[in-house]
Amino acid sequence: MQDESRLTEQPSPTEAPSPEDPPSDEFVPETSTADKIFNWLAGLPWWAIILAVVAVAVLYSMFTSAAYQNVIRFLTDDPQRSTDDLFDVVQIVGEPAMIIGHFTGETQDSVESVITELLTEVIDSSLVTRAGFIEKETPATITVQTDSGSVTIPKDRIKRMEPPDAAVGSDVEISYIDRVTVTGTLTERDDDTMTVRTVDEEIQTFATARILNEETSVIACDKNADPDCTDREVVTILREGEIVTGTLTTLSQTGVSLQLPDESTREFRRAEVEYIHVPTLTIALNEAQAEEPVAEGQEVRIGFVDGTDITAALEQLDQLEDIPVPLRYSEGSARVALVSYPDIKAALEATGAGDVAGLVYLDAGSERWAVADWVDANPDAGVVLASEPRECTRHCEITVKMNDDELTGTVTARSADEISIRTVDAEYVVIDRDKILDNRRMEPGVCALNNLRGCNEGIFLTLRVTFLAYGLALAIGLFVGLMRVSNNPVIYAISTLYVEVIRGIPLLVILLYAGFVISPWIRDHTPVELSDEWEAIIGLAFGYGAFIAEIFRAGIQSISRGQMEAARSLGMSYPQAMRHVILPQAVRVVLPPLGNDFIAMLKDSALISVLALPDLLQFGRLYISRTFRAFEGYNTVAILYLLMTLFLSLLVRLIERRSRLPQ
Amino acid sequence: MNNGVEPIIQIKNVHKHFHTLRGTVYALRNVSLNVMPGEVVVIVGPSGSGKSTTLRCINRLETIDGGEIIVDNIPLKGARNINKVRAEVGMVFQSFNLFPDRTALGNIVLAQRVVRRRRRAEAVDKAHDLLAKVGIPEKADSYPAQLSGGQQQRVAIARALAMDPKIMLFDEPTSALDPEMIKEVLDVMLALAKEGMTMVVVSHEMGFARAAADRAVFMDEGRIVEEDKPDILFSSPSHKRTKLFLSKIL
Ligand SMILES: Nc1ncnc2c1ncn2[C@@H]1O[C@H](COP(=O)(O)OP(=O)(O)OP(=O)(O)O)[C@@H](O)[C@H]1O
Ligand SMILES: [Mg+2]
Repeated sequence: MQDESRLTEQPSPTEAPSPEDPPSDEFVPETSTADKIFNWLAGLPWWAIILAVVAVAVLYSMFTSAAYQNVIRFLTDDPQRSTDDLFDVVQIVGEPAMIIGHFTGETQDSVESVITELLTEVIDSSLVTRAGFIEKETPATITVQTDSGSVTIPKDRIKRMEPPDAAVGSDVEISYIDRVTVTGTLTERDDDTMTVRTVDEEIQTFATARILNEETSVIACDKNADPDCTDREVVTILREGEIVTGTLTTLSQTGVSLQLPDESTREFRRAEVEYIHVPTLTIALNEAQAEEPVAEGQEVRIGFVDGTDITAALEQLDQLEDIPVPLRYSEGSARVALVSYPDIKAALEATGAGDVAGLVYLDAGSERWAVADWVDANPDAGVVLASEPRECTRHCEITVKMNDDELTGTVTARSADEISIRTVDAEYVVIDRDKILDNRRMEPGVCALNNLRGCNEGIFLTLRVTFLAYGLALAIGLFVGLMRVSNNPVIYAISTLYVEVIRGIPLLVILLYAGFVISPWIRDHTPVELSDEWEAIIGLAFGYGAFIAEIFRAGIQSISRGQMEAARSLGMSYPQAMRHVILPQAVRVVLPPLGNDFIAMLKDSALISVLALPDLLQFGRLYISRTFRAFEGYNTVAILYLLMTLFLSLLVRLIERRSRLPQ
Repeated sequence: MNNGVEPIIQIKNVHKHFHTLRGTVYALRNVSLNVMPGEVVVIVGPSGSGKSTTLRCINRLETIDGGEIIVDNIPLKGARNINKVRAEVGMVFQSFNLFPDRTALGNIVLAQRVVRRRRRAEAVDKAHDLLAKVGIPEKADSYPAQLSGGQQQRVAIARALAMDPKIMLFDEPTSALDPEMIKEVLDVMLALAKEGMTMVVVSHEMGFARAAADRAVFMDEGRIVEEDKPDILFSSPSHKRTKLFLSKIL
């Protein structure tokens, strides 16, 4: 009720110039064109603004259209790269025979030039078997009455009929192709058709030693359609994962990167790796000699196990900062004798017996506890461990074994130790849109400028989180702001504490608290379980609440005391006066800073990707991690954020103008 | 004067001081004043003499440090619902204090709805009546910024009257106005006085005091120095200070 039609009704102009009116003189600044346009915009009714929002949505969908993609493809140097990765698998379910076409060169033939050969090969069709009696037969179809009703089946889709020559009225069991599913990558799309590239073609050459299992099958070609065709032999190979050895450059939670002997680097994601052998240095010492430094001219005997890389082990030993006593020799004074033993046990026994001062053992991961286990098991053997095994984190040779995989295709070359396989040909299938019965998983792939549709989810998440968090922050800010102007010292102190504490902590840290401290606590102590999204919303809202509280406090304090006194003298209570008199005015004052914070929050929402939320930034990073195109990826993210903030700031300014009081 | 009717405002030995950075300011020292129902009292006095403070104590915008104030038989000190008392006591400020984000009509309607809980139509009707009464019915939809000072002050009076107060307090209602606008505000106040409204007016408008007031009070340095019929006080004051003050403003 406090709105009192102030936004919609234009005030009647005053007949007499009021004394506040400044005398018009030559100093009146010219209104710029932009200002004029904006004033015009601000004067528009709300429905026009809603229309404008719709127009923006339409514009956005235009940006995601095929035409736009073609432009981008034209502009980018590597069109294939930029589109192929962008779409996920598309599955199109439709009726067979009618929907399959071959993509021939650059021209898309009409749907009539169907090739059915693909049907049995790469296109997965579901075979349905039904039993009943034949109700009707035409040259093209057979109608079968089954328990669940009658079906009419085109004859060319029948794969098997039992008995094969059943006549009308007799019982029959019939198998036919019901629907066909096309799976692949969407490469083109226009109003009438879609082109799907079904499988990637690729030639892979690898050592035959890696073949774990090989199966061959023959795909017979359709002699009716083409008498000269040859059958195709398809092999399916279970391939042992590649084993790569190189110098470790980085080792992280998500991946490993190696420098190969040919100076190139290779990165592996942990997900595609079966195991990583990282050399681990273990040092065992003779108990008696463990505390004795090496004397001048003395010979130090160091044991090692046959077959382990003692050079690498000594190199690593060199890099250690705290070399255990008997192995530490001061400059050039002691001599080293290396003694080899056939296995760990023998070496350790020799160490215990005092044959050697210590054992240096370098193992590529799997047996790194062998020495420690032996020492544990034989406490009286006189051997002590100098230190825990140390895993190398940089600059050592490591071995990475990738996961085994399976490969299907035709063999193009085979020698005794190498084989080349061409994986199944890429098939471009053109599908008439009318014939598509169902479109499963049509979601586009990765967010990039040439596939803005792929960004939708991220954009919506960013907007959703921003709007909800801002709404919550406004509520918190208003509440705390009111506490900050309270005369009650306790309330004032609590609110000041909140503001000062939150303002002094980086937003990122607050978000991490929300995600990893508060949320688990709530989960453990209450039946409520917060989703990642709500963790982010709550974190952002509390972080911004402090700033917004200060804005509200300043706004409330900017309203003259007279307003409160006038309201109270009319008999309003403090809350009533706040709500009906002070706050409506204060809100007008604080609209610009609130708008600022709104936009700032939209930008800061990018921080929520630390909570593993798939927001816009996260989508961009996904694109970059798949394509290694950081420039394009971050451009996309930046431009989309910019578009959103520009739009929001326009909206904020419009709201400001509209809430301005007539002068 | 005391003809068996209880005074509607009783101020008894009131003390009031402010603690400021530069020490304690004694704004009121042992002030006592009774106002009968329907009486119009004008308070005059030099700047800083405690006139505004007296008014503000009557509706407890300031709390008092000593003495007692009883308004309409309710002692203010322990009043549980001060808002009820305030609703019965209208106040008009020197600086109008209209709500700038509401139209003249909205200003008058608001407290009726919030405090008196009147229905909207009723409140709007009353607002229109009051705007007509103060002589600006055509300004209902104007915002305060679009009104002249005199018009604003008249809206402020209408706003206070909309609560149907038993008492009206005016704190220098015309001193922020240009001379040509003073009359329009005083005319409204005069009409109000004629209707029998109890009024306490801080004003140096002698013409108004003579025409409307039953009593004039002269304050100085937080004390009531003398009080009498306005004609008598203004033409033949008995105190030297009053004489001095009057000689300055006349
Ligand atoms: N909120 C306050 N804090 C401190 N001192 C105050 C406050 N309000 C009033 N005073 C002091 O109390 C004294 C009386 O003030 P008051 O406003 O009642 O004077 P007045 O008679 O209305 O003067 P004027 O004619 O200038 O309005 C003055 O000395 C003033 O400085
Ligand atoms: Mg005053």
